[in-house]
Amino acid sequence: MIELREVSKTVMSGSEPLTILHPLSLRIPQREFVAIVGPSGSGKSTLLGLIAGLDAPTSGSVLIDGVDITRLGEDALAKLRGEKIGFVFQFFHLIPSLTAYENVAVPMEIAGVDAVRSRAHQLLEEVGLTGRSHHYPSQLSGGEQQRVALARALANDPPIVLADEPTGNLDSANGRLILDLLRAIHQKRGTTIVLVTHDRELAALADGRLVLRDGRVVENTLHEDADKEAVRK
Amino acid sequence: MIFVLRMAVRETRASWKRLLFFFICIAVGVAAIVTLRSVIQSVRDVFGSEAKGLLAADVLIATNREWPPAARATIDRRLLEAGSTARTETIETPTMVRPTDRSKPVAKMVELRAVQPEYPLYGAVVLQGADRYSYALLRDHGALVRPELLTALGVEVGDEITIGQAPFAIRGVIVSEPGRRVGGFSLGPRVIIDYADLPSTGIISFGSRADRRLHAKVPDDRIDDLVRELRADFKDDFVNTRSYRSTEDQIGRDFERAENYLSLVGLIIVILGGIAVSSVTRVFILQKIRSIAVLKCVGARSAQIIAVYILQVMALGLAGSLLGVAMARGVIAAIALALGGSTSLLAQAHYGVTWSAAAQGVGIGVLVSLLFAVVPLLQVRFIKPSLLLRDESVRRRRDWLSAVTMAAVSAALVALTAWQAASLRVGVVVCAGFAGLAVVLHFAGRGLVALVAPLSASRSFPLRHAVLHLSRPGNQTRVILLAVGLGAFFIVGVRSLQASLLGEFSVQVDADAPDMFLLDVQKPQVEGVRAFLGDRSHGAGEFQLIPVMRARVTAVSGRETMLDSPEAVRQSGMSIGREFTITYRDRLESNERVVEGAFWLSPSTEPEVSVERDLAVRARLHVGDTIRFDILGRPLAARITSIRDVEWRESRNGGFVFVFRPGVLDQAPQTWVAPLKGPATPADRARFQHDLVVRFPNVSVIDFHEILETIRDVMSKVTLAITVVGGLVLFSGVLILVGAVAMTKFQRVYEAAVFKTLGANTRTIARMLLFEYGVLGSVAGAIGSLGAVALTWGVSKYALEIPWRVFPREHVAGILLTALLVASIGVLSSLDVLRNKPLATLRAE
Repeated sequence: MIELREVSKTVMSGSEPLTILHPLSLRIPQREFVAIVGPSGSGKSTLLGLIAGLDAPTSGSVLIDGVDITRLGEDALAKLRGEKIGFVFQFFHLIPSLTAYENVAVPMEIAGVDAVRSRAHQLLEEVGLTGRSHHYPSQLSGGEQQRVALARALANDPPIVLADEPTGNLDSANGRLILDLLRAIHQKRGTTIVLVTHDRELAALADGRLVLRDGRVVENTLHEDADKEAVRK
Repeated sequence: MIFVLRMAVRETRASWKRLLFFFICIAVGVAAIVTLRSVIQSVRDVFGSEAKGLLAADVLIATNREWPPAARATIDRRLLEAGSTARTETIETPTMVRPTDRSKPVAKMVELRAVQPEYPLYGAVVLQGADRYSYALLRDHGALVRPELLTALGVEVGDEITIGQAPFAIRGVIVSEPGRRVGGFSLGPRVIIDYADLPSTGIISFGSRADRRLHAKVPDDRIDDLVRELRADFKDDFVNTRSYRSTEDQIGRDFERAENYLSLVGLIIVILGGIAVSSVTRVFILQKIRSIAVLKCVGARSAQIIAVYILQVMALGLAGSLLGVAMARGVIAAIALALGGSTSLLAQAHYGVTWSAAAQGVGIGVLVSLLFAVVPLLQVRFIKPSLLLRDESVRRRRDWLSAVTMAAVSAALVALTAWQAASLRVGVVVCAGFAGLAVVLHFAGRGLVALVAPLSASRSFPLRHAVLHLSRPGNQTRVILLAVGLGAFFIVGVRSLQASLLGEFSVQVDADAPDMFLLDVQKPQVEGVRAFLGDRSHGAGEFQLIPVMRARVTAVSGRETMLDSPEAVRQSGMSIGREFTITYRDRLESNERVVEGAFWLSPSTEPEVSVERDLAVRARLHVGDTIRFDILGRPLAARITSIRDVEWRESRNGGFVFVFRPGVLDQAPQTWVAPLKGPATPADRARFQHDLVVRFPNVSVIDFHEILETIRDVMSKVTLAITVVGGLVLFSGVLILVGAVAMTKFQRVYEAAVFKTLGANTRTIARMLLFEYGVLGSVAGAIGSLGAVALTWGVSKYALEIPWRVFPREHVAGILLTALLVASIGVLSSLDVLRNKPLATLRAE
């Protein structure tokens, strides 16, 4: 369960404060496939970063399975991400000095799990990259790189996968492939998926949608929980 | 932990090529440390085990004047009591030697050693060729000589030479002998003759500078007691006693000091490498910023990531250090090979890398790499994973942990240097000095970069961009300036100093000042020598004949200083316990000035003395005080009537600390010396010496032109050594430069691609690179040259007390050569920047 309470984000733009995200509260139940939609600069990626604990909110709190992650230090946040959250970026962000296999293995090595090798190869197989495991990112196409990134996000079998415009940098065929993979993961593993996109067509495939504009929620079709208690400002 | 290890391996695999040069720099420093320490340790082992051979005795008792009357009896008794099993005596004296063949009008000063049959008790006299030393070679006027004498006199084995009044047949050529100090200063080549033949030469006359030595074999357990007893017996006499053990200890201490100080040179190169490592780590982290953010995003803690890079740095530091040890092995093998044919003591050492030197080198290499990398690595903590979502720059931040780490690193560096120099004081001084120098070079670099900054508005496109590049983000300008500038500073500095010193000495020798010095003129010979020198046909110019005596202060009774015994004088710490050469005259020399009291104008029967000012200040002596002297065994109490300032630089006519009033010493036993202007040409000078020695066989001649040659020779060796050190420093600077180019190449390749897209051709980009590195090299050369100017000023003024001179040729050459070196290395290591096709580069970005 992901819960945001009165979360906002303001940054300094030159000497002026700029609010990227106005206070918002929401709940994303487990096993949901959620799309966050909105035009560029609407605060989608910022919201995703706050959920992942990659960034700290200016106010409010973010709870993952009941734990307020805004109270955690950097190292505790890193541990939480390692265990519970997988992240897929628009620009892949693979480590260029590591092979595809090593990029996938790293989160497992950090977590200190066993059987890293077989699991990493299994994940690469799942995303259709058997035989490409010893290639470096620079030797892979964009679609392949994003599939490696997806395999990396799944390395520790996290209950939550956050994807920031995962198809934004890909051609439509590769974009479709990634989306199919995400849906398959959601269905097979019951992983909660939060997908940021500005493509409404893609968003239509999700269980619920959150539409942002200028840092505010303008539409929310999330099945927040049994009593549908969505709080919106 | 597995993650840290695996990541360290992967990171090293990916980036070792870019970091290679910095660790080669560490390797060079480690190689210097290991080589110096190993060689000195090997040589010390030989000298230590050969201590008896060096002394040619267990116990050596020596005096530089006649044995005091009762001394022989005392020595005999003590040696008997100590159970001495053998003894032998030698006399050493500088004297003139000439070919007996009158058709060869040359003469040369030599160091003569007269030996008895038992000589040497330890060690061996090694002769050239198949000859083996035996006393029989010396018997009946035989002589063994060093090869350089043969060359100087134009004689060979079998020919006769004349020493004093006696002819000797050359029967062998000396390669090495016990007791000759390696690298010690000598007045001339060695000649060995029979002790029994010495009187026939007639050179040992009154006041001659002869060193009489008694070598004794003594059971090992009695040596220390014997030395102690003899020292007590002769505490008031000029008799010196030492044992091979004290020699061994002294040698041990000398070598240890040499080893420690020389190793500091290596340490400085390692530290330069360390500074480069620090600088490159900072850039490296900047380049790795996204990877680090990704690692944090997938769950890595800052400490884990820092551990990855620390492990990587240590692995590269270890690799560099091991490479350094391998390099040292190569160099040491080459030394052993080069010395292979030599018969000197140095060739007897078993050269090889010693374990302790290798361990120290590797330890230092790894430790310095680690220390210098830690502080920049702490920046990893400030990298936030959120920068993967939006472009955020990471500002360099300082916090308490950085400050504490920096303090700990500084303390560790001081400790490391102190450990290497085996002295905390030296450690602190060297670190402070190095830090000071680095700060000065840093600011000089900034100043000079600011000075060339206006060129960034130049109309020339390549020049404008070249200057802008010096301050690009992640530039290595400062560290290159530091390393290359320091190397240039060493080289230009020592070259200027050499030029300055030689120039000064040449001026003194070439001017009208005396350039020859006669020693040991006996009183009855004074008039004859005066007539000889006055005879223009011999070619001598202006000359003076000065009476000299050797004296020692035995007591002082003064206003401030009261010393009532020779013991008290020796222990006063006022440097008046040594032996002084004194004279008497009734006038001041041109380089003297009375600063207190009045100088006499006429003889007197009352003993009066004039004291040189520096000594008077040191010993707190004043006009009116009385000094008691021992002048060759005769006591004399003289009242101080004046204090003189002596300009030592112009003291070729004799600079004396104590000058007596004529009247009292005139009839005392004395010898005369004569400073004079010798003939102009080398041939005339040789003939002059020959003719003089034929007439006055006991008189020795010191030729300043020959000494100048010796000084020139010694100085060029010292200069070469320091130039090699400077060269190593410069080399590490070049490595850092190549490394810096490799490190920032991706940025340059990208920029070059953009420039090419915008219409710049390869030549323009090549010129841009050439200008950039040319400017960098010129600035580094200028820093080195400016430093060298400051160094020569300081050393000239305070250490050598010679006039300060600037040698524009050395400085201009220094700047030009440094600029050329840096420009060519910079451009050569950027060749692929020029070759890359723009489209591929831009697509990759």
